[in-house]
Amino acid sequence: MSEREGSQREREMSEREGSHGSHPAPIERQLDRMTPAEAMRAGAELDGVHIVHKRERFPVPGTKAERRAERAVALCFVLTFVAVVAFTVIFIAAPWHYSLTDNSYTWFTPLLGLTMALALAGIGVGAVLWAKWLMPEEEAVQDRHDGRSPEVDRQTTVATLVDGWNDTGLARRSVLKRAFGLGVGALGALAIVPLGGFIKKPKDELVSTPWKAGLRLVDMGGRPIRPGDMMPGSLATVFPGVPGGLKAPDAPTMLIRLRPGQTVQPRPGQEDYGWEDYVAFSKICTHAGCPVSLYEQQTGRILCPCHQSQFDVTLDAKPVFGPASRSLPALAITVDADGYFVAKGDYREPIGPSFWERP
Amino acid sequence: MTDPPPSAKTPSRLARLRRRLSGAAALGAVLIVVGVGYTAAASAGTPGGARAATQPQDSVEVRKGRHLYEEGCITCHGMILQGVQNRGPSLIGVGQAAVYFQVITGRMPVARQEAQASRKQPKYTPEEVDQIAAYVQSVGGGPVIPGGNLRDGDLAEGGELFRINCASCHNFAGRGGALSAGKRAPELTPATDKELYGAMLSGPQNMPVFGENQITPEQKRAIINYVQTLKQTKDPGGSGIGRLGPVPEGLVIWIVGIGALILTILWIGAKS
Repeated sequence: MSEREGSQREREMSEREGSHGSHPAPIERQLDRMTPAEAMRAGAELDGVHIVHKRERFPVPGTKAERRAERAVALCFVLTFVAVVAFTVIFIAAPWHYSLTDNSYTWFTPLLGLTMALALAGIGVGAVLWAKWLMPEEEAVQDRHDGRSPEVDRQTTVATLVDGWNDTGLARRSVLKRAFGLGVGALGALAIVPLGGFIKKPKDELVSTPWKAGLRLVDMGGRPIRPGDMMPGSLATVFPGVPGGLKAPDAPTMLIRLRPGQTVQPRPGQEDYGWEDYVAFSKICTHAGCPVSLYEQQTGRILCPCHQSQFDVTLDAKPVFGPASRSLPALAITVDADGYFVAKGDYREPIGPSFWERP
Repeated sequence: MTDPPPSAKTPSRLARLRRRLSGAAALGAVLIVVGVGYTAAASAGTPGGARAATQPQDSVEVRKGRHLYEEGCITCHGMILQGVQNRGPSLIGVGQAAVYFQVITGRMPVARQEAQASRKQPKYTPEEVDQIAAYVQSVGGGPVIPGGNLRDGDLAEGGELFRINCASCHNFAGRGGALSAGKRAPELTPATDKELYGAMLSGPQNMPVFGENQITPEQKRAIINYVQTLKQTKDPGGSGIGRLGPVPEGLVIWIVGIGALILTILWIGAKS
């Protein structure tokens, strides 16, 4: 009998009887006489589950084969115990400190992973083998109906829902409905209001940086830079020479000395931003704020490692490739009386990615 | 008072002689000054021109280097290191550092013109490289890789300098990365101390130059110490997967890890 015919027969049967399952429920007197196995079967039949066959793996208990299977399953669980002990010992005792001379610390993490995997595998394999080797072999079939539920079930379910709605009386009691809506809505505000603590109106930190007129350009070590310090075709990351300038997130600037023959076409209003063959640009990408310092000294291109934007230094750091749409802001530089590079002022435009109120 | 003429004649002859001698001496001095000045001016104006022909005072190394240069480099870099249009740049002023780096790593001589010369089996022995470098240095001058231990810098400072100056292109573990239009920053794994120093000093190809005043020799030695230490350290998590960071790690998890899970599920399904 094919599955389709079987389920069709089942539907006809359940429609005729008006209930699921093909067996009538046992009466109390019958239940008293049933063994647990028989009661389980009867319960399954009530739920439409037919146990086709069920038999012990080892019909004669205590054979050599059964004991062997039992030992193998037990071994899996013992393996888990041993692996957990090993994990604990390794975690406490194995060397894990970084060392230049002794490489044994490199075993720490792999060994932890290995023992943890063994412990989990022991439980898993043991459970599967227990079911496959020792528990009774069983095959069961459950009745399922095709398509939608019988008409009776559908109509009674809808009636239950409609009756429940009518019991609340919300359709008639409009004051209650509005008051309820008000209360529940206010409860929502309870979740939203504390989020307000995270909102901060930025002052001018989006449009200004620590750079000021006369501030020296210093390197990572705080050393001011002279024009003679850099060779043609070089790049240095510089910071404003003020306390905290090294850590200011919007201050890092690239000081670039062009190669002989390279010139910059300045943007309007930035004609005097460079100093001889030196130019300075913000190191923060105008797309997503990554540090752009992949500098190709021959092509004069600055690359952003995050999304492959490219800026052409000879076009005043105009984007020539990738998602960035604005030029890197240029820092106006000059040389002070002592011969060190200084800024002529703050950046003329906000550095970094765009934001809503960006002018 | 009748014989003043002889007495007068003798001093006048002596005076004439003295005048002639001093005139000759002055002329000689002027000639020497002009000659020396001209030679100096000429050699200053066209260094290659004046020195292209091997001078007798050049060392054996430079002479051998010149020989090698004329065999292997002259086609692209020219008779007097002036460079050849569309073939090779001028080598005047690049110094021993650039020649050593380019030739010892096999980048020069290039096999063909492409986006960037790659590291390959060097064409010259280390002695020959030193000879070519000595020749180019003797003609054009330029930065020189110092001798001695190039790895005795401060490890922590080297790490900080590496991350701010080098890691953006060469990757935080020195594994290199892509640049624009087929160019790339090479991995630092095969680089020796001297090659690293030479690269920083000369800025090969598209790498920026890091002169001795921008990154001091002590700082350069610190960076080299850090790079070489980085290469020696083992990966504490087992396989480093190329030390390229989260991308290959995610790839391995998704392809190998999830793939193994799917295969296991298929196997379990097929078994039952």
